[in-house]
Amino acid sequence: MTTVKVNGHTWSTHSGKSKDKVVEAPVIHNEGKLEPPNKYRSLNVFTVFYMLINNFLRSIKILDKNQTITELILYYINHSILLMVFFIMSIYKNFLWIYRKIVLKSLNVTYYPNKSPHIIRDDVNKLNKIPKRLSCILNFKDEDDENGGIDGLIFDISELVAWSVSAGIAELNIYEYNGIINTYNGELNRYINKNLKNYFGTEYIPNITIKIPHVGQIMVNDASKPVDLTVNLLSAIDGKPTIVELTKTMSELAVNKELKIEDITIDLINEELIELVGNEPDLLIIFNPNLDLQDYPPWHIRLTEFYWEYDNKDVTYAVFIRALQNYAKSKVNVGK
Amino acid sequence: MSVVSINEFISLLANFPIFAYLFSFVQDIIISILKTGPIPKHVAMIMDGNRTFAKKRNLSLKQGHTAGAESLVKVLDTCFRLGVKVVTIYAFSIENFNRSKEEIDTLFGLLRDRLKLLAENENSYSRVNMIKIRIIGNKSMIPEDILQDLEKIEDKTNLETSEKILNVCFPYTSRDDIVHSIKQTSHQRMNGLINKDSITLDYVTDNMYFGPDSLPLDIMIRTSGQTRLSDFMLWQCNYNCTIEFVDTLWPDFKFLSLIMILMKWGYYKTLEMESEMNKLNEKDEKEFVDILKELPPHPPHKSVTDRK
Repeated sequence: MTTVKVNGHTWSTHSGKSKDKVVEAPVIHNEGKLEPPNKYRSLNVFTVFYMLINNFLRSIKILDKNQTITELILYYINHSILLMVFFIMSIYKNFLWIYRKIVLKSLNVTYYPNKSPHIIRDDVNKLNKIPKRLSCILNFKDEDDENGGIDGLIFDISELVAWSVSAGIAELNIYEYNGIINTYNGELNRYINKNLKNYFGTEYIPNITIKIPHVGQIMVNDASKPVDLTVNLLSAIDGKPTIVELTKTMSELAVNKELKIEDITIDLINEELIELVGNEPDLLIIFNPNLDLQDYPPWHIRLTEFYWEYDNKDVTYAVFIRALQNYAKSKVNVGK
Repeated sequence: MSVVSINEFISLLANFPIFAYLFSFVQDIIISILKTGPIPKHVAMIMDGNRTFAKKRNLSLKQGHTAGAESLVKVLDTCFRLGVKVVTIYAFSIENFNRSKEEIDTLFGLLRDRLKLLAENENSYSRVNMIKIRIIGNKSMIPEDILQDLEKIEDKTNLETSEKILNVCFPYTSRDDIVHSIKQTSHQRMNGLINKDSITLDYVTDNMYFGPDSLPLDIMIRTSGQTRLSDFMLWQCNYNCTIEFVDTLWPDFKFLSLIMILMKWGYYKTLEMESEMNKLNEKDEKEFVDILKELPPHPPHKSVTDRK
């Protein structure tokens, strides 16, 4: 018997079979959440002005070295010129921001998939090549933001899944720094399938498999059919910490004389990391206002092509298709 | 478009002594202005585009590489005058061994000659300016005669007074670097120097070619418009580092291009520092209200189960 106290009353739950289990509802931990360094990129001119004035005032307090008067005066002149240049830059950046927003908006109108796989396939068929493996860096936005929180993330991922299936991509990696989505994979799977029905109809839904390499979990929808798209959910833990763990294992094997140190080669480590994390993606789309890799697994970005759209925070089809177009233009010549 | 054409115009004008003097004067002013703001400590560069440059201008491969080397000297000078502590350049990738023998020999020879020029005499650039030259990468792949020369250069510039470092990655790939670190760590464990628990992220990082005292990377620049890293400093650049892909070809990448990147970095850094300061001053003074508790009391409960 469990007692739960609600509003001054003590509720006892009796059930004939067995004791009820008290389950804590999952809490989203916001502490330690990585904030992408883009919040300073869209500050308005007045905030920047205020900050620069502050900066200047602070520099007066700090400076008390053994300098001559001329050096001191020169420093102030130079520093104020620098801050003035920064201020002009902030005006310019604001105009640029507006310009880019307009461009992005018009692109979103130009490229609109209209929940139709045919349109997406038509767009893709104009290109001479597409990536086999696509990777996307997504941000966990604040719950209060537009399209934020877990629901926003799930929505963005399910759209990306639908576009990728329609485009014919074989593998999609989703990277989110905190790995928050890992605990919601059931919900994610349900929503992905729901969204796919919007694109493909209710009769034949593409067969999606969701993998969480770090946990070693694979969620299969229909084991009898071939898989149309594998979705890998990655987080920061799949990057450097995994390589550190691998180092521990390798050294353990070396100590136990099961592995010679000379046998540790790039190929061996590569095989292990493919097993632990997955393959190197061909294209990495960063849905961030600037290029910030957010501790993305370093081993896996060797020759990966990057794509990002300045001042864009949203996961939109326009960015997706433009990334593919950019990829089709790129030329890889290793070492040559 | 604009940067290249301005650069070309300036390099044309710089042929006249008066203008050359004027430009160096203006450069000095710009540097002293920029110096009063935040300056990155560690800058890395992928110098891409020498061959495209040569092809575009109908030059030989060697001339292209020479133009690139000239550009490098200027960029290095600007960096160190600004107060950048460490500059890392991607001189030669392990994958570059796939190139023709002739080109590899040219590149090796050029690199050795340039480094010699930087470090040979008492009054050479790096010795006057106290710059330590370090060769980073898999040294076992360098031909014996070149390796000897390079080690001599490393020794000559390795003074206790030198504060600035020039890392020449030769021949280097980041994957090789990571594997090297794993090997080193395993080796140390086999010799009983460390136990399993002391293998941490920092430990693995310290065992890389760059060594334990290397500064974290602030800016990574890649020229010639490619938007990938090509196996260069993957471990170092994927967190808290600004990556800049510029369309300029490396031989055209000069003072102005570099200053613009550093200016942008300094601008965002200043804003970042300021807002952190503001955060410290403000210290969350928000008070949250529990609305449920603030509500007026509800009418008494009356339920069917209460009936006696």
